Amino acid sequence: MHNLMLLGNGLLNVLSIQNLLVTGLGAILGLMVGAMPGIGSLAGVALLLPLTYKFNPTTAIIMLGALYYSNMYGGSFSAILLNIPGDSPAVMTTLDGYPMATVKKRPGQALYTSNLSSFIGGFIGIGILIFMGPALAEFGLKFGPVEMTALLLVAMTSIGWLVGDNPTKGIVLTLAGILVATVGMDTLTGSPRYDFGNVFLLGGIPFIPFVIGTVGFAQVMKLIDEKDVGTKTMVEGKMSLKGSLLSLHELRRLLPPAIRSGFMGTFVGVLPGAGATTGSFLGYAMQKGFKSEEPLGTGAIEGIAACEAANNAAAAGSFAPLLALGIPGSGTGAVLLGGLMMWGLNPGPLLFSSQPEFCWSLIASLVLANLLTLAIALGIIPWITRILSVPIKLMVPCITIVCIVGSYSSTNSLYGVIVMLISGVIGYLCEKNGYTTAPMLLSFVLAPLLESNMRKSFIISHGSISIFFTEPIACCFMVVLFAIIATPIIRGILSREKR
Amino acid sequence: MYKKILTVVAVALLAFPVFANGDSEQKAGGTFVPTQNIEWYCTSSPGGGSDIFTRTLQDIMTSEKLVNGQNIIIQYKTDGAGEVGRALVSTVKGVKADHTLLTFNSGDLMPMDKNTDRRFSDFQPIAHMAVDNHLIFVTPDSRFKDFKEVLEALQKGEDVVMAGSKGDDIACHAALVKELGVSADQFAFIVNDSSGTAITSILGNHVDLLICKPAAASQYVEAGRLIPILALASKRFPGNLQSAPVLSELGYHDVEVPNWRSVVGSKNMSPEAVAYWSDVFKKVSQSSAWQEGYINKQKLVADYMDCVTFKAYGSKFEADYLTSIGK
Repeated sequence: MHNLMLLGNGLLNVLSIQNLLVTGLGAILGLMVGAMPGIGSLAGVALLLPLTYKFNPTTAIIMLGALYYSNMYGGSFSAILLNIPGDSPAVMTTLDGYPMATVKKRPGQALYTSNLSSFIGGFIGIGILIFMGPALAEFGLKFGPVEMTALLLVAMTSIGWLVGDNPTKGIVLTLAGILVATVGMDTLTGSPRYDFGNVFLLGGIPFIPFVIGTVGFAQVMKLIDEKDVGTKTMVEGKMSLKGSLLSLHELRRLLPPAIRSGFMGTFVGVLPGAGATTGSFLGYAMQKGFKSEEPLGTGAIEGIAACEAANNAAAAGSFAPLLALGIPGSGTGAVLLGGLMMWGLNPGPLLFSSQPEFCWSLIASLVLANLLTLAIALGIIPWITRILSVPIKLMVPCITIVCIVGSYSSTNSLYGVIVMLISGVIGYLCEKNGYTTAPMLLSFVLAPLLESNMRKSFIISHGSISIFFTEPIACCFMVVLFAIIATPIIRGILSREKR
Repeated sequence: MYKKILTVVAVALLAFPVFANGDSEQKAGGTFVPTQNIEWYCTSSPGGGSDIFTRTLQDIMTSEKLVNGQNIIIQYKTDGAGEVGRALVSTVKGVKADHTLLTFNSGDLMPMDKNTDRRFSDFQPIAHMAVDNHLIFVTPDSRFKDFKEVLEALQKGEDVVMAGSKGDDIACHAALVKELGVSADQFAFIVNDSSGTAITSILGNHVDLLICKPAAASQYVEAGRLIPILALASKRFPGNLQSAPVLSELGYHDVEVPNWRSVVGSKNMSPEAVAYWSDVFKKVSQSSAWQEGYINKQKLVADYMDCVTFKAYGSKFEADYLTSIGK
């Protein structure tokens, strides 16, 4: 009840004309930044940070919080319409979003699914943040390297659900993802790995250009490869507002995965170093374990709902350690933390008690941004889907430019463009030969986290594997891990015996 | 109509030299003043210690009108663990070299020396601004109450794990291990991406000790979540960190690996520009905005050195470091 009162005060603060305007501005900018591939919330917040130095801290954080938050909405626009994730958390949205928009010719429904799920996920995340923020942050602290290793091992097994019909091909690409992720500086010893004396490789393979290439540019090459393009468009026929809306049945379909992912995403957002990208990967993988009306990967509503709700919830969850402990849960959180110092505040465990107006205004701005962004997004969807009526022969050069600009802006150098082009060719060849690239992207995201946490665990235990079984939380995850691995084996044995 | 447009365009093009600022003009009389935008490279991500250092300097230089009304544009070049930005600045030539600055810390120098052939001599030292020292912390429910107990545990052969960040934290741990005469296996160190991650691991009691610079840990000390137990400096820290003794109070030599924060430029920077920038940073170091808004707030030690003194200091620091890693 006390928290609700504080939230009420925060809302009153946000509802001043000045703060309302900056919340709206942040929400619109966030949508735009999210929809533009390669910029992402990190760069968006970093670019706007200097402009806010002259604001009072509360107004500044309200604007940046709204921007960060609405960015999660915007990322799905280009993912669904162009197969280019606007931001890394939107990678998984392409798996079902793009087929639903183009193959099933229902771009409006795909975007409505994504935005409604984002709203639900965000609503759950912010709700948990309001009532359990500090407790959640303390719970996140219980996840040290040992617990994170055990959790990531469980997450890695979810790759098995993404490999498609041919497990061998899936495993090959999973290992390729791990290999690519090891390029660059060793995070623990600082030694260079696979850099071949090249200063760019020393910094590793940048994720955004890698994803834009593997998913987006590969798609461009596939379109070029198609014969008799002529005046064909991505989606033939006229698109109307009525035809873009979701039916009651479809709304019922999106609710369960969105709610499940909302809770799971909030939990992932609180964990050290995990973030919205890991949240959306895990949300999608978790949905594989539940029933979907259509198979995932073919344009299923459940697939879009699961990852979009998870990434918004994770974005909200990552504010818990930031506000309660002064520990950023993501790269964008780290920039906001820098902002707090520049605005003259001291981020840390005293922030909630010493600056309650600031903290609760930020949380209130998230509530408002969630509503505002949903309203804005729902309003523009019928217009934005018209992009798919542009003839393919014109779309190809446009998407190529978006891929190049996105890769360049994410790294601020041509290196990003080169990575995008090379990974585009690799992605195209993979798709052409029946290799699904999703496992490669998932292992690319998870492998560095797993490696760093596992090596830290072994330093703590002096090389003993028993630490994964003596720590209670880690032990629970190990039991789950063995259950996941053993279940199909036992099932196989039982079915053979029946025969 | 077309002729009119053509005439306007031609006149506009011909008028350009009127607004141009020539290179020779700015150096008339052997002095330098900035005549174009100043590009300032930061090889760390926005939001971190280097970024705050850079932005504070930028803010003071602009508000105190020290840059002849020019804009300072901060460029983040983090590719190749910062090596791309460093390579770029070290090779800038001409007028641009006089208008290019780089934030450079000992935490940048150490990985650069270790992993590449680039050296401190590839840059023009401009000004050394401040020094950060380290402290060791425990949590209130730690198995150690003070550093004496850590020493006793090590003497008994028990394992101790300490978390910290990169660069100078690693060097500080290495120096401490050497001074205490224990092995790095027994007194293990876990490298984290940032001080924030290291703090997370000790708040959850996943490690025994935390090594950290004062600015990052001060708030946790105030909140009673961290207790300083050793200052890795030649004298105790002020304020809420004063309770931590230095190593010489416990019967050893003091261990101190200062993380210096400085500004360098391209080695092709003209002597006039070097003198100008060195003087600008001197003025910044004397301002109250710097002393109060940065040094005191971040609990750093103000230590301005001009380009000549800093060159000698940085070169010696590098030589010692290269010897310590056998290069």
